[in-house]
Amino acid sequence: MANIIDILTVLMMGTSFAVFGLRQYRHSIIAYALQTLLLVTIFLALYVKYGSHELLVWSITAFIIKVVIVPLYLLSLVKKLGVVVEDEPVGGFFISPVVALSFSLAVAMMFYKVFIHFSIFKDALPLFAASFIFMMGIFGFILRTSFIKQILSYCLFENGIHLSLALMAYTSHELVEVGILTDAVFAVIIMSILAKRFYASYGSLDTSKAVNLRG
Amino acid sequence: MDILLLILIIPFVFGVVMFLMPLNFKFLQKLHILMSITVSAVLLSAVSKIVNGAELSLFHNFIFLDSLGAIFLSLIAITGLLVNIYATTYMKWELEDGHISLKEVKNYFALSFIFTWTMSLSVLCNNIAFMWAAIEATTLASVFLVAVKNDKKSTESGYKYIVLCSIGLAFALYATILLYSAANGKIEGEAMLYTNLLANAASLDPMALKLVFIFALIGFGTKAGLAPTHTWLPDVHAEGPAPTSALLSGVLLKCAMLGLIRYYAIVANGVGFDFVQSVMIISGTLTLFVSAFFLIRQHNVKRMFAYHSIAHMGVIAFGLGVGGAIGLFAALFHCAAHSFTKALAFCSTGNIARIYGTKDMTKMGSMIRIAPLTAVLFGIAICSLVGVPGFAIFVSEFLIFKAAAIGEQYILMGIFAVALAIIFIADFSHFFLASFGKVEGKVEHNGEMKLSENLPLIALAILIVSFGIWQFDSFTFLLNESVKTIIKQ
Repeated sequence: MANIIDILTVLMMGTSFAVFGLRQYRHSIIAYALQTLLLVTIFLALYVKYGSHELLVWSITAFIIKVVIVPLYLLSLVKKLGVVVEDEPVGGFFISPVVALSFSLAVAMMFYKVFIHFSIFKDALPLFAASFIFMMGIFGFILRTSFIKQILSYCLFENGIHLSLALMAYTSHELVEVGILTDAVFAVIIMSILAKRFYASYGSLDTSKAVNLRG
Repeated sequence: MDILLLILIIPFVFGVVMFLMPLNFKFLQKLHILMSITVSAVLLSAVSKIVNGAELSLFHNFIFLDSLGAIFLSLIAITGLLVNIYATTYMKWELEDGHISLKEVKNYFALSFIFTWTMSLSVLCNNIAFMWAAIEATTLASVFLVAVKNDKKSTESGYKYIVLCSIGLAFALYATILLYSAANGKIEGEAMLYTNLLANAASLDPMALKLVFIFALIGFGTKAGLAPTHTWLPDVHAEGPAPTSALLSGVLLKCAMLGLIRYYAIVANGVGFDFVQSVMIISGTLTLFVSAFFLIRQHNVKRMFAYHSIAHMGVIAFGLGVGGAIGLFAALFHCAAHSFTKALAFCSTGNIARIYGTKDMTKMGSMIRIAPLTAVLFGIAICSLVGVPGFAIFVSEFLIFKAAAIGEQYILMGIFAVALAIIFIADFSHFFLASFGKVEGKVEHNGEMKLSENLPLIALAILIVSFGIWQFDSFTFLLNESVKTIIKQ
């Protein structure tokens, strides 16, 4: 079972790089949906391993909300706005994935060694992957200037946190996961509304143009 | 019905009801005031039960109200009510001037109840993960209170608000997960409950707790406006309508601070107070000096007050850093004092912006002649903000000095005095410019607001002076009980 979880988490790391690096919004969103499907599979694998009822409830709610609803909503947003490819990120399309990848790997190397001391789940690779995915999300915010990519970055670090939650705190109450998921859905909806407004005001999704309030 | 259950239901239901109401401003205005009074009465009734020694909990202690929560719940009730009443006046002006549509006003009123609901929930959660979810929900509920209009600046402030607060709070969620993970199986009872974690803090891994506190500080500190992750705050507070700024600064920042204080209590009892105090001193000092620097350069009245909010979050952090029973008492007292003061400050900017049609203080002047009452209210807010004796904030700042003197922390006293002196000079120079100088720009509304329109502001001013002069036994009881819980005397 540990091997399966290891493989799934490595695949999640790969998809997080895809969500970050792919230029076409549709591809990025599909990579995110795939990543969340892998996350749900990890929930189920951990459920089989530990028999924790909470993980079963989490996997069902996460599947409905994060694999189906959120990606469909984002796809409809991209279609409505008529945007296909994201704007040039900080440092360009080649440099920004390299920077994000190297820094995320470095930070994850540091974090997982600390986390493993007091994690319920003692396998190093999944804990490393959780930190890596979280950091890819954070770097997505910093380096990708497209509003849609920033929404996806939010979803990405959300997935990193959910993976940590499943590995380190899977015995916590079902409502905890439901509460966090509800927040995530509303956050995506609100960010999407703001993205629409932003596009209407600035004629672009490039958030680096938002400089009216500086000073 | 259980009072906590009422708190969990009523504001949410009122928010939904408001969404469904017809577009008639006078009706909406009356309904908003009536429902705000009801919500505050329910919240204060729960607080009064705590003052009378009751223990309130619900759903197997998942939801609870302790003395610490009661302090912050009373701020939501009192400051929230007065700001909500003022909001009906402010929205009337905005509507008359064509700055906002009636539908947007209705949405604003409805969202303000949802916002109150999320803030109350964040105070009442004993489950730390759910507390995190509630604090994140406060951001989501208030985004469109900030970005109420559909223009560029409004959208930009909403964007900055949700993005920066969400990233920051992600670290707080990590802190939650790490804390649970470190406690699960090592403590008696459910490891996600704050009360259990606090009671068994000594049995937790000290290294884990230190890491948890750093993550919690980044997370809740971002939301509370502590430097260096404060950058969203001036843009958001300056751009939103005056009542939104008053709510954000007066109440919301305190809810995030409550989250941090709960982690402070757990970690302090686990690894000792020295660690948390050192971290909070660094954070508080950095916040105070960063805000003091930016404060001097501000001429936009709302941006100035926004930097003030950061400065006062620094004061609270400094109080927590100085520590001891008096330092903690001062930090908690400061939460209340700042809540009333900042609500008055931001609400008075609503009046000022109406008079001059601008937020730039260099274009104002002669306010004492044009609108004497507003000038006095503005002056009271400024006097309290800089810590003039007789006003609420003086009490807490004096107590921080006292706590530092008792602890023989003379260097900290010096640092605190220098920061306060910079803030003092910056504030009074701005205040004199706006109130007594020559009018450099134009005057759009040449006259004072009606007395009825200023009533909530007068009430806030009375609260500021009252808390500066008198000692309210019930409030002092809550503060003392909270301090005892934190330091386990």
